Amino acid sequence: MTGDIPYYRAIHEAFVAEINSRFAGSEKIEIILQRPFPNPISWSNAARKLIAFDVDLIVTYGLPAAEAVIHEKSRIPLVYAGLFEPENAAIKAKNATGCGFKVPLSSILRYFKRLKTVNTLGILFCSLEEDSVRQFETMQDLAAQQNIKTEKIDIRSRADLDKLKAMESDVVFISGSSLVHLFLDDIIKLLEQQRIPVATIFPDDTEAGVLVTLSQPPISQGHLAAEMAWQILLGTKPADINAYTFRDTELVFNKVEARRLEIDFPIQLLIEATRVIE
Amino acid sequence: MRHVSRSARHFARCFIACLLVCSVATAALAVSASAQPDELLIGIEPEHNIFDQMERYRTLADYLSEQLGVKVKLTIMSRYGEVIKRFRTLRLDGAFLTSYTATMGIKELHLEPIASPVNLYGASTSQGYIFVRKDSGIRSMIDMKGGSIVFVDPATMEGYLFPLVFLAQHGVKNINEFFHDYYFSGSHASAIFTVLDGRADIGAAKSTVFDQLVKSDPSIGQELDIIAQSPKAPEVTLCIKSEISQNLRERLTRVLLHMDKTVAGKNVLQQFKAQGFVKSNTEDFAIIEKMAQESLGSLTVHGK
Repeated sequence: MTGDIPYYRAIHEAFVAEINSRFAGSEKIEIILQRPFPNPISWSNAARKLIAFDVDLIVTYGLPAAEAVIHEKSRIPLVYAGLFEPENAAIKAKNATGCGFKVPLSSILRYFKRLKTVNTLGILFCSLEEDSVRQFETMQDLAAQQNIKTEKIDIRSRADLDKLKAMESDVVFISGSSLVHLFLDDIIKLLEQQRIPVATIFPDDTEAGVLVTLSQPPISQGHLAAEMAWQILLGTKPADINAYTFRDTELVFNKVEARRLEIDFPIQLLIEATRVIE
Repeated sequence: MRHVSRSARHFARCFIACLLVCSVATAALAVSASAQPDELLIGIEPEHNIFDQMERYRTLADYLSEQLGVKVKLTIMSRYGEVIKRFRTLRLDGAFLTSYTATMGIKELHLEPIASPVNLYGASTSQGYIFVRKDSGIRSMIDMKGGSIVFVDPATMEGYLFPLVFLAQHGVKNINEFFHDYYFSGSHASAIFTVLDGRADIGAAKSTVFDQLVKSDPSIGQELDIIAQSPKAPEVTLCIKSEISQNLRERLTRVLLHMDKTVAGKNVLQQFKAQGFVKSNTEDFAIIEKMAQESLGSLTVHGK
Protein backbone atom coordinates (compact mmCIF):
# COMPACT_ATOMS: atom_id res chain seq x y z
CA MET A 1 0.00 0.00 0.00
CA THR A 2 1.28 3.45 -0.88
CA GLY A 3 -0.34 4.65 2.35
CA ASP A 4 -2.86 3.26 4.79
CA ILE A 5 -5.87 5.16 3.50
CA PRO A 6 -9.51 3.98 3.08
CA TYR A 7 -9.30 3.90 -0.72
CA TYR A 8 -6.42 1.44 -0.87
CA ARG A 9 -7.87 -0.55 2.02
CA ALA A 10 -11.12 -0.96 0.05
CA ILE A 11 -9.20 -2.21 -3.00
CA HIS A 12 -7.23 -4.59 -0.80
CA GLU A 13 -10.34 -6.00 0.91
CA ALA A 14 -11.95 -6.67 -2.47
CA PHE A 15 -8.69 -8.25 -3.66
CA VAL A 16 -8.47 -10.58 -0.66
CA ALA A 17 -12.11 -11.65 -0.91
CA GLU A 18 -11.77 -12.40 -4.61
CA ILE A 19 -8.41 -14.21 -4.46
CA ASN A 20 -9.61 -16.36 -1.54
CA SER A 21 -12.76 -17.31 -3.41
CA ARG A 22 -10.69 -18.30 -6.45
CA PHE A 23 -8.41 -20.51 -4.39
CA ALA A 24 -11.18 -21.87 -2.15
CA GLY A 25 -10.71 -25.59 -1.50
CA SER A 26 -7.16 -25.61 -2.86
CA GLU A 27 -3.87 -24.29 -1.51
CA LYS A 28 -4.27 -21.51 1.07
CA ILE A 29 -2.89 -18.14 0.03
CA GLU A 30 -0.77 -16.39 2.62
CA ILE A 31 -0.90 -12.61 2.37
CA ILE A 32 1.73 -10.36 3.95
CA LEU A 33 0.42 -6.79 4.11
CA GLN A 34 2.79 -3.81 4.31
CA ARG A 35 1.35 -0.38 5.11
CA PRO A 36 4.31 2.00 4.80
CA PHE A 37 3.93 5.66 5.71
CA PRO A 38 3.81 7.61 2.43
CA ASN A 39 7.44 8.59 1.87
CA PRO A 40 10.14 7.22 -0.45
CA ILE A 41 12.19 5.51 2.26
CA SER A 42 9.20 3.66 3.69
CA TRP A 43 7.99 2.59 0.24
CA SER A 44 11.45 1.30 -0.60
CA ASN A 45 11.81 -0.54 2.73
CA ALA A 46 8.42 -2.20 2.31
CA ALA A 47 9.31 -3.34 -1.22
CA ARG A 48 12.68 -4.74 -0.05
CA LYS A 49 11.03 -6.61 2.82
CA LEU A 50 8.62 -8.39 0.49
CA ILE A 51 11.42 -9.24 -1.93
CA ALA A 52 13.47 -10.59 0.99
CA PHE A 53 10.53 -12.82 1.96
CA ASP A 54 10.83 -14.24 -1.57
CA VAL A 55 7.08 -14.04 -2.11
CA ASP A 56 5.47 -15.50 -5.26
CA LEU A 57 3.78 -12.26 -6.22
CA ILE A 58 3.72 -8.64 -5.09
CA VAL A 59 0.53 -6.59 -5.26
CA THR A 60 0.73 -2.81 -4.88
CA TYR A 61 -1.90 -0.14 -4.38
CA GLY A 62 -1.01 3.33 -5.64
CA LEU A 63 1.74 4.43 -8.00
CA PRO A 64 4.62 5.14 -5.55
CA ALA A 65 4.47 1.60 -4.09
CA ALA A 66 4.47 0.12 -7.60
CA GLU A 67 7.43 2.32 -8.58
CA ALA A 68 9.32 1.28 -5.43
CA VAL A 69 8.93 -2.42 -6.31
CA ILE A 70 9.96 -1.88 -9.94
CA HIS A 71 12.96 0.17 -8.79
CA GLU A 72 14.30 -2.90 -6.92
CA LYS A 73 14.50 -4.82 -10.24
CA SER A 74 13.25 -8.02 -8.65
CA ARG A 75 12.08 -10.99 -10.77
CA ILE A 76 8.97 -11.34 -8.60
CA PRO A 77 5.84 -10.64 -10.68
CA LEU A 78 3.95 -7.45 -9.80
CA VAL A 79 0.25 -6.67 -10.00
CA TYR A 80 -0.59 -3.03 -9.37
CA ALA A 81 -3.96 -1.38 -8.66
CA GLY A 82 -5.24 2.05 -7.70
CA LEU A 83 -3.11 3.92 -10.25
CA PHE A 84 -4.41 7.16 -11.72
CA GLU A 85 -4.30 6.91 -15.54
CA PRO A 86 -1.80 4.02 -15.57
CA GLU A 87 -1.18 4.53 -19.30
CA ASN A 88 0.47 7.85 -18.38
CA ALA A 89 2.42 6.47 -15.44
CA ALA A 90 6.04 5.42 -15.81
CA ILE A 91 5.28 1.73 -15.21
CA LYS A 92 7.49 -0.10 -17.66
CA ALA A 93 8.46 -3.57 -16.50
CA LYS A 94 8.12 -6.96 -18.20
CA ASN A 95 6.99 -8.65 -15.00
CA ALA A 96 4.31 -6.09 -14.14
CA THR A 97 0.68 -5.68 -15.05
CA GLY A 98 -2.34 -4.28 -13.30
CA CYS A 99 -5.18 -1.84 -13.33
CA GLY A 100 -5.97 1.73 -12.52
CA PHE A 101 -8.61 4.35 -13.05
CA LYS A 102 -9.39 7.54 -14.86
CA VAL A 103 -11.58 10.31 -13.49
CA PRO A 104 -12.22 13.39 -15.65
CA LEU A 105 -10.86 16.23 -13.53
CA SER A 106 -12.70 18.72 -15.73
CA SER A 107 -15.96 17.46 -14.22
CA ILE A 108 -14.78 18.44 -10.74
CA LEU A 109 -14.16 21.97 -11.95
CA ARG A 110 -17.55 21.98 -13.67
CA TYR A 111 -19.37 20.98 -10.49
CA PHE A 112 -17.51 23.60 -8.47
CA LYS A 113 -18.61 26.25 -10.97
CA ARG A 114 -22.20 25.11 -10.74
CA LEU A 115 -22.06 25.58 -6.96
CA LYS A 116 -20.29 28.90 -6.61
CA THR A 117 -18.22 31.51 -8.42
CA VAL A 118 -14.67 30.23 -8.80
CA ASN A 119 -11.97 32.85 -9.27
CA THR A 120 -9.19 30.91 -7.55
CA LEU A 121 -8.87 27.15 -7.34
CA GLY A 122 -6.68 25.67 -4.62
CA ILE A 123 -4.93 22.40 -5.49
CA LEU A 124 -3.54 20.16 -2.76
CA PHE A 125 -1.02 17.64 -4.00
CA CYS A 126 2.14 15.85 -2.93
CA SER A 127 5.26 16.34 -5.03
CA LEU A 128 6.56 12.96 -3.77
CA GLU A 129 3.78 11.17 -5.67
CA GLU A 130 4.07 11.38 -9.46
CA ASP A 131 0.37 10.78 -10.18
CA SER A 132 -0.59 13.48 -7.72
CA VAL A 133 1.72 15.87 -9.57
CA ARG A 134 0.10 14.90 -12.88
CA GLN A 135 -3.32 15.65 -11.42
CA PHE A 136 -2.08 19.02 -10.19
CA GLU A 137 -0.74 19.86 -13.66
CA THR A 138 -3.92 18.74 -15.42
CA MET A 139 -6.11 20.74 -13.07
CA GLN A 140 -3.87 23.77 -13.42
CA ASP A 141 -4.20 23.61 -17.23
CA LEU A 142 -7.98 23.22 -17.04
CA ALA A 143 -8.24 26.20 -14.72
CA ALA A 144 -6.01 28.32 -16.96
CA GLN A 145 -8.23 27.56 -19.96
CA GLN A 146 -11.13 29.04 -18.02
CA ASN A 147 -9.20 32.03 -16.68
CA ILE A 148 -9.28 30.65 -13.15
CA LYS A 149 -6.25 31.34 -10.98
CA THR A 150 -4.70 28.45 -9.07
CA GLU A 151 -3.18 28.26 -5.62
CA LYS A 152 -0.67 25.42 -5.35
CA ILE A 153 -0.21 23.69 -1.98
CA ASP A 154 2.43 20.95 -1.84
CA ILE A 155 1.88 18.70 1.17
CA ARG A 156 5.03 16.69 1.96
CA SER A 157 4.56 16.43 5.71
CA ARG A 158 2.05 17.30 8.44
CA ALA A 159 3.85 20.61 8.97
CA ASP A 160 2.73 21.69 5.50
CA LEU A 161 -0.88 21.78 6.72
CA ASP A 162 -0.11 25.19 8.21
CA LYS A 163 -0.10 26.53 4.65
CA LEU A 164 -3.86 25.94 4.56
CA LYS A 165 -4.51 28.59 7.18
CA ALA A 166 -3.59 31.31 4.73
CA MET A 167 -5.42 29.95 1.69
CA GLU A 168 -7.31 32.43 -0.45
CA SER A 169 -9.00 29.99 -2.80
CA ASP A 170 -12.74 29.84 -3.42
CA VAL A 171 -12.65 26.05 -3.70
CA VAL A 172 -10.04 23.33 -3.18
CA PHE A 173 -9.31 20.21 -5.19
CA ILE A 174 -7.53 17.46 -3.27
CA SER A 175 -5.54 15.26 -5.62
CA GLY A 176 -5.36 11.48 -5.27
CA SER A 177 -2.32 11.56 -3.01
CA SER A 178 -2.02 9.04 -0.21
CA LEU A 179 -0.14 11.48 2.02
CA VAL A 180 -2.72 14.23 1.55
CA HIS A 181 -5.56 11.77 2.17
CA LEU A 182 -3.86 10.55 5.32
CA PHE A 183 -4.42 14.05 6.72
CA LEU A 184 -7.90 14.44 5.20
CA ASP A 185 -9.76 14.99 8.49
CA ASP A 186 -7.38 17.77 9.54
CA ILE A 187 -7.44 19.36 6.10
CA ILE A 188 -11.23 19.45 6.04
CA LYS A 189 -11.36 21.01 9.52
CA LEU A 190 -8.91 23.74 8.52
CA LEU A 191 -10.72 24.52 5.27
CA GLU A 192 -14.14 24.43 6.92
CA GLN A 193 -13.05 27.24 9.22
CA GLN A 194 -12.52 29.34 6.10
CA ARG A 195 -15.72 28.00 4.49
CA ILE A 196 -13.80 26.57 1.53
CA PRO A 197 -15.51 23.60 -0.16
CA VAL A 198 -13.46 20.57 -1.13
CA ALA A 199 -13.68 18.02 -3.94
CA THR A 200 -11.59 14.93 -4.52
CA ILE A 201 -11.26 11.77 -6.62
CA PHE A 202 -10.95 9.23 -3.80
CA PRO A 203 -14.20 8.12 -2.12
CA ASP A 204 -14.83 9.88 1.17
CA ASP A 205 -15.99 6.69 2.87
CA THR A 206 -15.45 8.09 6.35
CA GLU A 207 -17.55 11.13 5.39
CA ALA A 208 -14.82 13.47 6.57
CA GLY A 209 -16.60 16.36 4.85
CA VAL A 210 -15.68 16.35 1.16
CA LEU A 211 -18.43 18.30 -0.63
CA VAL A 212 -18.07 16.67 -4.07
CA THR A 213 -16.50 13.29 -4.76
CA LEU A 214 -16.10 11.90 -8.26
CA SER A 215 -14.38 8.56 -7.95
CA GLN A 216 -13.99 5.14 -9.46
CA PRO A 217 -15.43 2.38 -7.24
CA PRO A 218 -12.41 0.57 -5.70
CA ILE A 219 -14.04 -2.87 -5.53
CA SER A 220 -13.79 -3.48 -9.27
CA GLN A 221 -10.04 -2.76 -9.16
CA GLY A 222 -9.58 -5.18 -6.26
CA HIS A 223 -11.46 -7.89 -8.14
CA LEU A 224 -9.52 -7.40 -11.36
CA ALA A 225 -6.20 -7.33 -9.53
CA ALA A 226 -7.17 -10.65 -7.93
CA GLU A 227 -8.07 -12.09 -11.34
CA MET A 228 -4.66 -11.01 -12.67
CA ALA A 229 -2.87 -12.37 -9.59
CA TRP A 230 -4.71 -15.69 -9.92
CA GLN A 231 -3.67 -16.04 -13.56
CA ILE A 232 -0.04 -15.23 -12.74
CA LEU A 233 0.04 -17.70 -9.84
CA LEU A 234 -1.30 -20.34 -12.23
CA GLY A 235 1.57 -19.67 -14.64
CA THR A 236 0.57 -16.85 -16.98
CA LYS A 237 3.30 -14.27 -17.58
CA PRO A 238 2.42 -10.70 -16.49
CA ALA A 239 3.44 -9.47 -19.96
CA ASP A 240 0.63 -11.61 -21.42
CA ILE A 241 -2.02 -9.90 -19.30
CA ASN A 242 -3.17 -6.53 -20.57
CA ALA A 243 -3.25 -3.64 -18.13
CA TYR A 244 -6.68 -2.11 -17.70
CA THR A 245 -8.04 1.36 -16.92
CA PHE A 246 -11.46 1.63 -15.28
CA ARG A 247 -13.43 4.65 -16.42
CA ASP A 248 -16.72 4.23 -14.59
CA THR A 249 -17.28 6.77 -11.86
CA GLU A 250 -19.62 7.59 -9.02
CA LEU A 251 -20.62 11.11 -8.09
CA VAL A 252 -21.33 11.83 -4.43
CA PHE A 253 -22.60 15.10 -2.96
CA ASN A 254 -22.40 15.76 0.76
CA LYS A 255 -25.39 17.87 1.79
CA VAL A 256 -24.33 17.81 5.45
CA GLU A 257 -21.11 19.57 4.50
CA ALA A 258 -23.00 21.90 2.17
CA ARG A 259 -25.14 23.06 5.09
CA ARG A 260 -22.00 23.71 7.16
CA LEU A 261 -20.55 25.76 4.32
CA GLU A 262 -23.91 27.47 3.62
CA ILE A 263 -23.94 26.22 0.05
CA ASP A 264 -27.19 25.25 -1.68
CA PHE A 265 -27.19 22.32 -4.05
CA PRO A 266 -29.59 23.18 -6.90
CA ILE A 267 -32.10 20.41 -7.53
CA GLN A 268 -30.80 20.01 -11.12
CA LEU A 269 -27.39 19.26 -9.65
CA LEU A 270 -28.58 16.89 -6.94
CA ILE A 271 -30.34 14.66 -9.45
CA GLU A 272 -26.97 14.04 -11.13
CA ALA A 273 -25.55 12.34 -8.06
CA THR A 274 -25.04 8.62 -7.72
CA ARG A 275 -25.40 9.15 -3.97
CA VAL A 276 -26.28 12.05 -1.71
CA ILE A 277 -25.09 12.16 1.90
CA GLU A 278 -27.84 13.75 4.01
CA MET B 1 -26.28 9.02 6.43
CA ARG B 2 -29.05 8.44 3.97
CA HIS B 3 -28.59 7.41 0.38
CA VAL B 4 -31.07 8.82 -2.11
CA SER B 5 -31.89 6.34 -4.86
CA ARG B 6 -32.54 7.21 -8.50
CA SER B 7 -36.22 6.35 -8.10
CA ALA B 8 -36.50 8.60 -5.06
CA ARG B 9 -34.96 11.45 -7.00
CA HIS B 10 -37.31 10.79 -9.89
CA PHE B 11 -40.20 10.90 -7.43
CA ALA B 12 -38.90 14.20 -6.04
CA ARG B 13 -38.78 15.68 -9.53
CA CYS B 14 -42.32 14.52 -10.27
CA PHE B 15 -43.46 15.93 -6.92
CA ILE B 16 -42.02 19.35 -7.73
CA ALA B 17 -43.69 19.23 -11.13
CA CYS B 18 -47.00 18.41 -9.44
CA LEU B 19 -46.59 21.34 -7.06
CA LEU B 20 -46.09 23.62 -10.03
CA VAL B 21 -49.18 22.18 -11.64
CA CYS B 22 -51.15 23.03 -8.51
CA SER B 23 -49.80 26.55 -8.33
CA VAL B 24 -50.31 27.37 -11.98
CA ALA B 25 -53.50 25.62 -12.94
CA THR B 26 -56.04 24.69 -10.34
CA ALA B 27 -58.78 23.49 -12.65
CA ALA B 28 -59.32 22.67 -16.26
CA LEU B 29 -62.45 23.70 -18.03
CA ALA B 30 -64.09 21.61 -20.66
CA VAL B 31 -64.25 23.27 -24.04
CA SER B 32 -66.96 22.63 -26.52
CA ALA B 33 -66.32 22.55 -30.23
CA SER B 34 -68.39 25.57 -31.04
CA ALA B 35 -68.22 27.86 -28.02
CA GLN B 36 -65.39 30.25 -27.24
CA PRO B 37 -63.79 28.75 -24.11
CA ASP B 38 -63.07 30.89 -21.07
CA GLU B 39 -59.61 29.51 -20.85
CA LEU B 40 -57.13 27.23 -22.54
CA LEU B 41 -55.10 24.79 -20.47
CA ILE B 42 -51.78 24.10 -22.14
CA GLY B 43 -49.36 21.40 -21.00
CA ILE B 44 -45.57 21.63 -21.03
CA GLU B 45 -43.09 18.78 -21.00
CA PRO B 46 -40.51 19.17 -18.21
CA GLU B 47 -37.00 20.33 -19.10
CA HIS B 48 -33.80 20.20 -17.03
CA ASN B 49 -34.73 23.29 -15.00
CA ILE B 50 -38.50 23.42 -14.68
CA PHE B 51 -38.42 26.65 -12.65
CA ASP B 52 -36.73 28.57 -15.49
CA GLN B 53 -38.98 26.80 -17.95
CA MET B 54 -42.18 27.86 -16.16
CA GLU B 55 -40.96 31.45 -16.04
CA ARG B 56 -40.34 31.47 -19.80
CA TYR B 57 -43.67 29.90 -20.67
CA ARG B 58 -45.63 32.04 -18.21
CA THR B 59 -44.58 35.17 -20.13
CA LEU B 60 -45.76 33.59 -23.37
CA ALA B 61 -49.05 32.47 -21.79
CA ASP B 62 -49.75 36.01 -20.53
CA TYR B 63 -49.13 37.41 -24.01
CA LEU B 64 -51.40 34.84 -25.65
CA SER B 65 -54.14 35.51 -23.08
CA GLU B 66 -54.04 39.19 -23.90
CA GLN B 67 -54.01 38.71 -27.66
CA LEU B 68 -56.71 36.03 -27.77
CA GLY B 69 -59.02 37.32 -25.05
CA VAL B 70 -58.93 33.82 -23.59
CA LYS B 71 -57.07 33.02 -20.39
CA VAL B 72 -54.16 30.70 -21.22
CA LYS B 73 -53.07 28.58 -18.28
CA LEU B 74 -50.08 26.30 -18.05
CA THR B 75 -49.38 22.99 -16.43
CA ILE B 76 -46.18 20.97 -16.43
CA MET B 77 -46.70 17.33 -17.26
CA SER B 78 -44.80 15.20 -14.80
CA ARG B 79 -42.66 13.43 -17.39
CA TYR B 80 -42.07 13.14 -21.11
CA GLY B 81 -44.21 10.13 -21.82
CA GLU B 82 -47.38 11.09 -20.05
CA VAL B 83 -48.88 13.16 -22.83
CA ILE B 84 -51.73 10.82 -23.65
CA LYS B 85 -52.61 10.18 -20.01
CA ARG B 86 -52.30 13.82 -19.04
CA PHE B 87 -54.33 15.08 -21.94
CA ARG B 88 -57.18 12.95 -20.70
CA THR B 89 -56.85 13.33 -16.93
CA LEU B 90 -56.01 17.04 -16.92
CA ARG B 91 -58.38 17.75 -19.81
CA LEU B 92 -55.70 19.69 -21.61
CA ASP B 93 -56.59 21.79 -24.62
CA GLY B 94 -53.12 21.63 -26.03
CA ALA B 95 -49.47 21.17 -25.17
CA PHE B 96 -45.98 22.18 -26.19
CA LEU B 97 -44.65 18.77 -27.13
CA THR B 98 -41.31 17.38 -28.19
CA SER B 99 -41.25 15.44 -31.45
CA TYR B 100 -41.90 11.95 -30.05
CA THR B 101 -44.82 12.91 -27.83
CA ALA B 102 -46.22 15.24 -30.49
CA THR B 103 -46.29 12.31 -32.90
CA MET B 104 -48.07 10.20 -30.29
CA GLY B 105 -50.55 12.99 -29.65
CA ILE B 106 -51.24 13.50 -33.35
CA LYS B 107 -51.79 9.78 -33.84
CA GLU B 108 -53.76 8.90 -30.73
CA LEU B 109 -55.53 12.13 -29.80
CA HIS B 110 -55.75 13.65 -33.28
CA LEU B 111 -53.99 16.78 -32.08
CA GLU B 112 -53.22 19.47 -34.62
CA PRO B 113 -49.63 20.74 -34.72
CA ILE B 114 -49.90 24.54 -34.81
CA ALA B 115 -46.47 26.14 -34.57
CA SER B 116 -42.92 25.50 -33.41
CA PRO B 117 -40.64 28.05 -31.74
CA VAL B 118 -37.44 29.08 -33.52
CA ASN B 119 -34.62 29.16 -30.99
CA LEU B 120 -32.09 31.96 -30.60
CA TYR B 121 -29.75 30.22 -33.06
CA GLY B 122 -32.43 30.24 -35.77
CA ALA B 123 -33.47 26.58 -35.56
CA SER B 124 -36.93 25.14 -34.97
CA THR B 125 -35.66 21.58 -35.21
CA SER B 126 -33.33 19.39 -33.24
CA GLN B 127 -31.43 16.17 -33.88
CA GLY B 128 -30.44 13.28 -31.72
CA TYR B 129 -26.74 12.96 -30.95
CA ILE B 130 -24.98 9.82 -29.77
CA PHE B 131 -21.77 10.78 -28.05
CA VAL B 132 -18.84 9.40 -26.07
CA ARG B 133 -15.86 10.85 -24.25
CA LYS B 134 -13.00 11.45 -26.70
CA ASP B 135 -10.64 9.53 -24.44
CA SER B 136 -13.03 6.58 -24.09
CA GLY B 137 -11.47 4.63 -26.93
CA ILE B 138 -14.95 4.08 -28.41
CA ARG B 139 -14.83 4.62 -32.15
CA SER B 140 -17.30 2.06 -33.49
CA MET B 141 -20.12 -0.26 -32.51
CA ILE B 142 -17.75 -3.06 -31.52
CA ASP B 143 -16.13 -0.76 -28.94
CA MET B 144 -19.56 -0.10 -27.40
CA LYS B 145 -20.23 -3.74 -26.61
CA GLY B 146 -20.26 -4.40 -22.87
CA GLY B 147 -20.27 -0.70 -22.01
CA SER B 148 -22.94 1.41 -20.37
CA ILE B 149 -25.31 3.78 -22.15
CA VAL B 150 -27.47 6.57 -20.78
CA PHE B 151 -30.72 7.48 -22.52
CA VAL B 152 -32.98 10.43 -21.65
CA ASP B 153 -36.51 9.03 -21.49
CA PRO B 154 -38.35 6.31 -23.41
CA ALA B 155 -40.64 8.98 -24.90
CA THR B 156 -37.95 11.04 -26.60
CA MET B 157 -36.83 10.80 -30.19
CA GLU B 158 -33.34 12.19 -29.57
CA GLY B 159 -32.76 10.48 -26.24
CA TYR B 160 -34.11 6.98 -26.93
CA LEU B 161 -35.84 6.29 -30.24
CA PHE B 162 -32.92 7.46 -32.38
CA PRO B 163 -30.23 5.51 -30.48
CA LEU B 164 -32.43 2.41 -30.68
CA VAL B 165 -32.78 2.87 -34.45
CA PHE B 166 -29.04 3.47 -34.80
CA LEU B 167 -28.21 0.39 -32.76
CA ALA B 168 -30.71 -1.75 -34.68
CA GLN B 169 -29.24 -0.56 -37.99
CA HIS B 170 -25.87 -1.78 -36.72
CA GLY B 171 -27.18 -5.18 -35.77
CA VAL B 172 -28.00 -4.64 -32.09
CA LYS B 173 -31.44 -6.08 -31.49
CA ASN B 174 -31.29 -6.47 -27.72
CA ILE B 175 -29.73 -3.68 -25.67
CA ASN B 176 -29.94 -5.82 -22.52
CA GLU B 177 -27.50 -8.25 -24.04
CA PHE B 178 -25.32 -5.76 -25.88
CA PHE B 179 -24.69 -3.32 -23.03
CA HIS B 180 -23.47 -4.08 -19.54
CA ASP B 181 -25.85 -1.44 -18.22
CA TYR B 182 -28.32 1.16 -19.46
CA TYR B 183 -30.53 3.68 -17.76
CA PHE B 184 -32.55 6.87 -18.22
CA SER B 185 -31.25 10.19 -16.93
CA GLY B 186 -34.57 12.06 -17.15
CA SER B 187 -33.13 15.08 -18.95
CA HIS B 188 -30.91 15.76 -21.94
CA ALA B 189 -28.44 17.81 -19.90
CA SER B 190 -28.15 15.05 -17.32
CA ALA B 191 -27.31 12.53 -20.02
CA ILE B 192 -24.50 14.79 -21.23
CA PHE B 193 -23.05 15.32 -17.73
CA THR B 194 -23.29 11.60 -17.06
CA VAL B 195 -20.99 10.81 -20.01
CA LEU B 196 -18.66 13.73 -19.21
CA ASP B 197 -18.15 12.33 -15.70
CA GLY B 198 -17.60 8.77 -16.87
CA ARG B 199 -20.79 7.59 -15.16
CA ALA B 200 -21.78 6.10 -18.54
CA ASP B 201 -19.66 5.30 -21.59
CA ILE B 202 -22.18 6.34 -24.24
CA GLY B 203 -24.96 8.90 -24.19
CA ALA B 204 -27.83 10.15 -26.30
CA ALA B 205 -29.36 13.60 -26.12
CA LYS B 206 -30.73 16.32 -28.33
CA SER B 207 -28.51 18.60 -30.33
CA THR B 208 -29.96 21.88 -29.08
CA VAL B 209 -29.18 21.12 -25.43
CA PHE B 210 -25.78 19.68 -26.37
CA ASP B 211 -24.85 22.74 -28.47
CA GLN B 212 -26.08 25.14 -25.81
CA LEU B 213 -23.97 23.45 -23.13
CA VAL B 214 -20.92 23.53 -25.40
CA LYS B 215 -21.50 27.22 -26.05
CA SER B 216 -21.65 28.00 -22.33
CA ASP B 217 -18.68 25.73 -21.54
CA PRO B 218 -16.41 25.00 -24.55
CA SER B 219 -14.50 22.35 -22.57
CA ILE B 220 -17.54 20.09 -23.00
CA GLY B 221 -17.09 20.15 -26.78
CA GLN B 222 -13.40 19.40 -26.36
CA GLU B 223 -14.15 16.31 -24.28
CA LEU B 224 -17.00 14.71 -26.20
CA ASP B 225 -17.17 13.13 -29.65
CA ILE B 226 -20.47 12.94 -31.53
CA ILE B 227 -20.49 9.58 -33.27
CA ALA B 228 -23.98 9.64 -34.82
CA GLN B 229 -26.67 12.18 -35.65
CA SER B 230 -30.35 11.62 -36.33
CA PRO B 231 -32.47 13.34 -38.99
CA LYS B 232 -33.89 16.69 -37.91
CA ALA B 233 -37.36 16.89 -36.38
CA PRO B 234 -39.34 19.75 -34.81
CA GLU B 235 -37.89 20.35 -31.36
CA VAL B 236 -41.03 21.62 -29.66
CA THR B 237 -44.46 22.07 -31.22
CA LEU B 238 -47.65 23.54 -29.87
CA CYS B 239 -50.31 20.94 -30.57
CA ILE B 240 -54.00 21.73 -30.02
CA LYS B 241 -56.85 19.29 -29.75
CA SER B 242 -59.30 19.26 -32.62
CA GLU B 243 -62.29 20.00 -30.35
CA ILE B 244 -61.05 23.57 -30.00
CA SER B 245 -62.90 25.74 -32.51
CA GLN B 246 -61.19 26.24 -35.83
CA ASN B 247 -61.52 29.98 -35.36
CA LEU B 248 -59.58 29.93 -32.10
CA ARG B 249 -56.94 27.57 -33.50
CA GLU B 250 -56.42 29.89 -36.47
CA ARG B 251 -56.21 32.97 -34.26
CA LEU B 252 -53.74 31.22 -31.99
CA THR B 253 -51.60 30.26 -34.97
CA ARG B 254 -51.73 33.79 -36.37
CA VAL B 255 -50.70 35.37 -33.05
CA LEU B 256 -47.73 33.03 -32.72
CA LEU B 257 -46.55 33.44 -36.32
CA HIS B 258 -46.74 37.24 -36.11
CA MET B 259 -45.17 37.69 -32.70
CA ASP B 260 -41.81 38.68 -34.17
CA LYS B 261 -43.44 41.55 -36.05
CA THR B 262 -44.68 43.53 -33.06
CA VAL B 263 -42.73 45.27 -30.31
CA ALA B 264 -44.75 43.57 -27.55
CA GLY B 265 -44.35 40.21 -29.27
CA LYS B 266 -40.60 40.70 -29.65
CA ASN B 267 -40.25 41.49 -25.94
CA VAL B 268 -42.07 38.30 -25.05
CA LEU B 269 -39.97 36.30 -27.50
CA GLN B 270 -36.83 37.67 -25.92
CA GLN B 271 -37.93 36.41 -22.52
CA PHE B 272 -39.13 33.16 -24.07
CA LYS B 273 -35.66 32.81 -25.64
CA ALA B 274 -36.91 32.42 -29.20
CA GLN B 275 -36.67 34.37 -32.45
CA GLY B 276 -40.25 33.59 -33.42
CA PHE B 277 -42.55 30.74 -34.40
CA VAL B 278 -42.93 28.79 -37.65
CA LYS B 279 -45.98 26.91 -38.93
CA SER B 280 -46.10 23.19 -38.21
CA ASN B 281 -47.65 20.36 -40.20
CA THR B 282 -48.50 16.76 -39.47
CA GLU B 283 -46.04 15.69 -42.19
CA ASP B 284 -43.15 17.10 -40.11
CA PHE B 285 -43.60 14.11 -37.80
CA ALA B 286 -43.67 11.32 -40.38
CA ILE B 287 -39.98 10.63 -39.76
CA ILE B 288 -40.65 9.87 -36.08
CA GLU B 289 -43.36 7.35 -36.88
CA LYS B 290 -41.13 5.69 -39.45
CA MET B 291 -38.27 5.43 -36.94
CA ALA B 292 -40.59 4.02 -34.27
CA GLN B 293 -41.97 1.41 -36.60
CA GLU B 294 -38.45 0.37 -37.63
CA SER B 295 -37.08 -0.03 -34.13
CA LEU B 296 -40.03 -0.55 -31.80
CA GLY B 297 -42.63 -1.93 -34.17
CA SER B 298 -45.08 0.71 -33.01
CA LEU B 299 -44.97 4.32 -31.88
CA THR B 300 -46.95 3.86 -28.72
CA VAL B 301 -45.10 0.95 -27.17
CA HIS B 302 -43.14 3.31 -24.93
CA GLY B 303 -44.01 6.38 -22.99
CA LYS B 304 -47.75 6.20 -23.18
